Amino acid sequence: MLPSRPITYGRSNVSVQQQQQYQQQQQAQRAQYQAQQQQPSHGLALPGSSYQSQPSGLALPASSGPGPSPLRQSHPPSPPHSSATPESAVAGPSSAAATPAPLTLEQKHITAVEGIVPTLQNIVATVNLDCRLDLKTIALHARNAEYNPKRFAAVIMRIRDPKTTALIFASGKMVVTGAKSEDDSRLASRKYARIVQKLGFDAKFSEFKIQNIVGSCDVKFPIRLEGLAYSHGQFSSYEPELFPGLIYRMIKPKVVLLIFVSGKIVLTGAKVREEIYSAFNTIYTVLCEFRKP
Amino acid sequence: MASAYYEFYRGSSIGMALTDSLDELITSGAITPQLAMKVLQQFDKSLADTMVKQVKSKAILKGHLHTYRLCDDVWTFIVKTPVFKMESSENVGAQKIKIIACKSGDAIDGGKK
Repeated sequence: MLPSRPITYGRSNVSVQQQQQYQQQQQAQRAQYQAQQQQPSHGLALPGSSYQSQPSGLALPASSGPGPSPLRQSHPPSPPHSSATPESAVAGPSSAAATPAPLTLEQKHITAVEGIVPTLQNIVATVNLDCRLDLKTIALHARNAEYNPKRFAAVIMRIRDPKTTALIFASGKMVVTGAKSEDDSRLASRKYARIVQKLGFDAKFSEFKIQNIVGSCDVKFPIRLEGLAYSHGQFSSYEPELFPGLIYRMIKPKVVLLIFVSGKIVLTGAKVREEIYSAFNTIYTVLCEFRKP
Repeated sequence: MASAYYEFYRGSSIGMALTDSLDELITSGAITPQLAMKVLQQFDKSLADTMVKQVKSKAILKGHLHTYRLCDDVWTFIVKTPVFKMESSENVGAQKIKIIACKSGDAIDGGKK
């Protein structure tokens, strides 16, 4: 069995102090990963295909307990292990080549930036429950729900594991925020759908889509933002009187970066985590040029 | 505008005592049920106003928020293992409590155990 990807790179609530240890872990895991990659035609196609065959209805067990394997396995939106060429890799989500490359995209990016890996901080996903909902019923019967129609036309619901927040609209559309990995986001969305289902609605689990991924990291050296803004004027917007960070709108991959003097970076706007990694890799070389003496 | 006040204080011990007394008076024929209703409505109003304007005592509550809910301007909190620290620096604990907080006239919360 391949380890599911976020276990390797995802849920890293790592503080800066732990970074060192974390990097060692990463290297160990990378080595392990490569070993597995070298085994011929490992069941890489499996998770994807199992997802395809899965009906859109909720396949949750009645207990709605955490992490049954079918939920964990179906992880379709980003097939990262199987990207053939660097070109298609940078293009991101569309690249779903079937043959596994010797090095995955992630590994390439990670090795390129000396072990600094952006940490995923937030994932926003949408789901269509495909059923009209009576929000008042939901607010009255579900736990940890807020519904104040004068303020906002959705029920705000939270669960503790995975720690996320959902906005549930009367149309049956739902927005799930706060997850730290794709798997968590999907699991949380399923849990919310299950809660709504248990309240007596004919909720389905359809059109799950990750809309945004936010990551952050620290390059650990100060940056000359003025210089960067000047030479990359096409992509940069730096107005220190309005906001202390430089806003860098990268075109390929289409990711927005907030770059701060301190060397801390926030990356947002990605649909798949590979875009975060490749954006960071791209910017890292640029940032090295504008390192403060 | 008696209907603008919540009736939940009738469930408190002072409210129960009032209701019992009114019941007794009605059975003995001393007052009419209509008058009793009027008295209860006045009680709702008076207690709400008093809680807002005259009760100044405070307590600090700590515990694990197990569940919360907001619907129809009413907050419900279920707090597990709460500890109340009263003004007299006396601590009172419990296994689980439910707090119901409503808006009163000037949008000030009233609570009830």
